[in-house]
Amino acid sequence: MPRFRNSSERYGIIAQALHWLIAALVLAQVALGLYAAKLPLGLARLEWLSRHKALGVTVLALVLVRLAWRLLDRPPALPDAMPAVERRAALATHRLLYALLVLAPLAGWLLASASGLSASWFGLFRVPDLIAKNPSLVAPLKLAHKIFVALLVLAVVLHVAAALRHAVVRRDGVLHRMLPWQPPAGR
Amino acid sequence: MAAACRALTLLLALACAPEAAAQCYAVDAAHGSVTFLVDQAGAPFKGAFRRFGGTLCLQGDAVTRIDVWLEPASTDTGLPELDAALKGGEFFAADQYPRVSFKSASIDMQRDREVARGVLEIKGTRREAAIPFRLQGGAAKPVVSGSFDLNRLDYGIGTGEWSNTKWLGGEVTVDFRAALSPE
Repeated sequence: MPRFRNSSERYGIIAQALHWLIAALVLAQVALGLYAAKLPLGLARLEWLSRHKALGVTVLALVLVRLAWRLLDRPPALPDAMPAVERRAALATHRLLYALLVLAPLAGWLLASASGLSASWFGLFRVPDLIAKNPSLVAPLKLAHKIFVALLVLAVVLHVAAALRHAVVRRDGVLHRMLPWQPPAGR
Repeated sequence: MAAACRALTLLLALACAPEAAAQCYAVDAAHGSVTFLVDQAGAPFKGAFRRFGGTLCLQGDAVTRIDVWLEPASTDTGLPELDAALKGGEFFAADQYPRVSFKSASIDMQRDREVARGVLEIKGTRREAAIPFRLQGGAAKPVVSGSFDLNRLDYGIGTGEWSNTKWLGGEVTVDFRAALSPE
């Protein structure tokens, strides 16, 4: 019986859906951004960067929904056997992930606004500008966007490595709390 | 009819000289702006032309002649890469066509605004255009302003892949405003 809310042992459907949806979109978003940034000035770059912007505000909105949901529905506790230093590392990595999941798209949105190249959500509605057009902010915001994305990729690598360590080395079921299927018997 | 009016105006002008003599003014670019607005991927994108000028003549309160220009090489969007592209061959080809110009053939009064009809030349393409404008501020400090739309493809602005208007709109809104100084 699937549960919408988190239990004391597992994440519920809502938290899992948001986690994996955001994971997939962030992966697509990084690939899209890297690809579009390398294109020469032309119609293709305009098209792909427009999609990148629309996807970016989507990720930001989903991250905010996820943070709100996390406040309403507390995550399951970590296993008692986890050493204090690992708990602190886990807490720090998760905080860093959430911070960067907000900061990376926010810097991109500010960059689009400062450039005067406002976003449209897949042609359906205008995405409002966060700040007025300001050419002098374009270079620093572009740099901030790149740094936040680089740090986000780093944090994701840490996060995935830790999840795999829980699954393969510790075998403590921490990874399976976020998977839609149950852990194999005799975990 | 317009010709008759002009003839009559001329006769009156001769009869009432010197008060009704034409007074020409220079467009003062330092106290004005010419901007354009075009849709990019569903959102408006704005830019400006920094170098522009020309002459506007009045006879009494009526505008009788407009002869203005701008230099597309002065395109300023705040994004150097885009400015370079807009000056390039696919857009304004500013090296080959250094000036965009408008010369009035006739000027009509329509309610509270005036409409200048004449020839707009962009990138070597000459087309009839009707440009509405207002003249405000009185004879001492006249200010001309207005706004009109044009289809960039009518003038070959955006060739090749840029002739697709899905991501870069075809309709361009031009806004202008400038103080006039007596010549």
